[in-house]
Amino acid sequence: MANTTEVDPEVSNNTGEEYETNQWQRLSPIAIIYFGASFIQGIIGQFVYIAPPILLGYNSIKDNPWIGLPIAIGILALLITSAVLNFYFFQYRLSKSSIEIRSGVLSKKHVNLPFSRIQNVKIEQPIYYRAMGFACLTLDTAGSSKQEAKVVALKLDFAEKLKQEIMGQHNEAILQSVDSDEEKSAVSLSSNQEEVINTRSIKDLVIHGVTSNRIWIFLGVLAPFYEKLSKYAGEFLLTFGIDIAQIFDPSTHSMWQLGLYAFSITMMIMLMMTLFSIFGAIMTFYGFTLSKIEDRYIRRSGLFTKHEVSMRLSRLQKIAHKRDWLDMLLNRVNLRFEQSSSQMNGMENGGISNLTDKIIVPSVTTNEALDLICDVYPENALANISFITISKRFFIRYIGFLCMPLYLAIFTFLIIIENYALILPITGVFAFICLLIFMRWKRWGYAIDNKYLYIRKGIFGVDHFVFPIYKVQQTVLKQSKFMKRRKLCSVSFVLASGAMNVPFIKESQGIELINRSLFEVETSGKSWM
Amino acid sequence: MTDIVSEINPQVFDSNLPDIHKIEMLPLEPKYAATNFKLGAGFTTIFVLILVFLRLQPWLEWDETLLTVLTVVVSVLIAICLLFTIYKKLADPLKTYALREFDLSFQSGLFFRKKVTQPITRIQHIELKRGPIERKIGLATLQVFSAGGALHTFEIPGLELSKAQKIRQFILQHKDSVTHG
Repeated sequence: MANTTEVDPEVSNNTGEEYETNQWQRLSPIAIIYFGASFIQGIIGQFVYIAPPILLGYNSIKDNPWIGLPIAIGILALLITSAVLNFYFFQYRLSKSSIEIRSGVLSKKHVNLPFSRIQNVKIEQPIYYRAMGFACLTLDTAGSSKQEAKVVALKLDFAEKLKQEIMGQHNEAILQSVDSDEEKSAVSLSSNQEEVINTRSIKDLVIHGVTSNRIWIFLGVLAPFYEKLSKYAGEFLLTFGIDIAQIFDPSTHSMWQLGLYAFSITMMIMLMMTLFSIFGAIMTFYGFTLSKIEDRYIRRSGLFTKHEVSMRLSRLQKIAHKRDWLDMLLNRVNLRFEQSSSQMNGMENGGISNLTDKIIVPSVTTNEALDLICDVYPENALANISFITISKRFFIRYIGFLCMPLYLAIFTFLIIIENYALILPITGVFAFICLLIFMRWKRWGYAIDNKYLYIRKGIFGVDHFVFPIYKVQQTVLKQSKFMKRRKLCSVSFVLASGAMNVPFIKESQGIELINRSLFEVETSGKSWM
Repeated sequence: MTDIVSEINPQVFDSNLPDIHKIEMLPLEPKYAATNFKLGAGFTTIFVLILVFLRLQPWLEWDETLLTVLTVVVSVLIAICLLFTIYKKLADPLKTYALREFDLSFQSGLFFRKKVTQPITRIQHIELKRGPIERKIGLATLQVFSAGGALHTFEIPGLELSKAQKIRQFILQHKDSVTHG
């Protein structure tokens, strides 16, 4: 308990007033900026709904540009009023062991959070807070996202102290349940000594930018504007005397020239996209550190907005060890520590999964990844366990009963309508899909030891997942009539961070896996968080 | 079974583990399947009648192309309704459940048999859900929520109310139960 007594006097010295006054208080006015920014974010988030009227109104605005001005002023006024009102109605009150927050303009919200129930404390520093030394403090409880509270503008050092205080109370609650004196002293000895266990250099982040496929998301976002963009690009190039239409005219150039142009343009676009992606990676992961203090893992990173996510070891649900084909070539791994994802939360945010639900360690080398996994799960055998592959019925079913008939049908159809030119590409597509299914089959496997379940999957890359068996929330055993005849089954394990499936394994093995995990869950008495 | 055991790890699988394959599964109330069928059949019939009426009514002129398109769409819809009703008719009686000391299981499916098992110690809260029809015929649906998320809510429909209440009571009083309501 020494750790809490260490922290306590310090906190009460500096922040005693705030603790004892018990008065409702407002945030610093800088919070207005925050509310304004989140208003804008909200608008962008609702873009899907706003876009149609904007597009409809686009032409009329173009014809009468002066309409745009009042609209812009209106939006700006709305923005400022909402930010100011949000700030005005946001009040919080601290007492010895709990925090109360009142917020909301139209729909009022009152949250009362006892410190002992707070599971997770996050500190976030958007760029506009940094100069002034402010931070946002997010307090998470284990259960639903509705219980989440965010104190929007606190002085950074005060936020840090509050965090210490809350975490301290938490430890106290845990320590009270531990009887042995030795363990107490062990915990308090190691307390407050933060140990950095991983950092990422710019070089690592560049690699991460190259290998992560964020670029495809970017491409997807741009998709509606392709036509416009290509038109503008064409006109732009024309001003330099480059006529795209002429370059790609097959009558003036030979095939290899065209191919070369197409190739170099593709390369250029790829290069651009990669640069964007590298920028994205640096923006998110700049100054990355992963550190460990007692049983907590803390990730800090961010170029503009600094994020700090801390996760207690007991809240960790599974480790994902992900490598796509480029990662395999470069011998890198993206490591993800996933905690309870509260899918409800994801849905409320429009299906965008919260980055702070998990701790991502980007592009570590294979050895570093194994070290980290061993640090978290000391007895895991991911490095040398042998996986049991799923049955080859998997690809027989998908190729033989799905792709093959479809392909043959299209093939016959093409023969009938005498369109021979399409046969080759269709065959190519078919072969490629077969290859994908084959690779999927080859990668999919599982393994189990005394404590952990391991699942391997992927197509060209390989992903490994490790989770302690007792973290399972629910098991599912699936079997079609066809699988029953072949003595096969599919199993899935529902974890708090999502479900993990293993299809087409031997029936007896599947049943044993389920029996074993249920046994572990039901008799170990361990909590999942 | 020995080859699998040695294939994985001899220590891991204990042959004395309780086997989910050997649980005695109990059927739901027969009323449940019967009522579902009546509802499905009734709905499909009314749907067909309304559409037939609309098609044959003399007051409104139909556009020719629109009519053909609509006919196709509507026939497909009716076919789906019919298939669904038939599927429910065949699959509903196959739904079974079981309550063991430490977990609940529910099995369903006609072509794809699926058995979900929910350990009681991972249950977060329980609800008894009763729609108007369930209330009328005295049945209840037991919903069990775990941290697995909304997609993986464990549900046993077609239980007699008293039985559902008993199961709920059993779970709430279970020593492993960490529920708050």
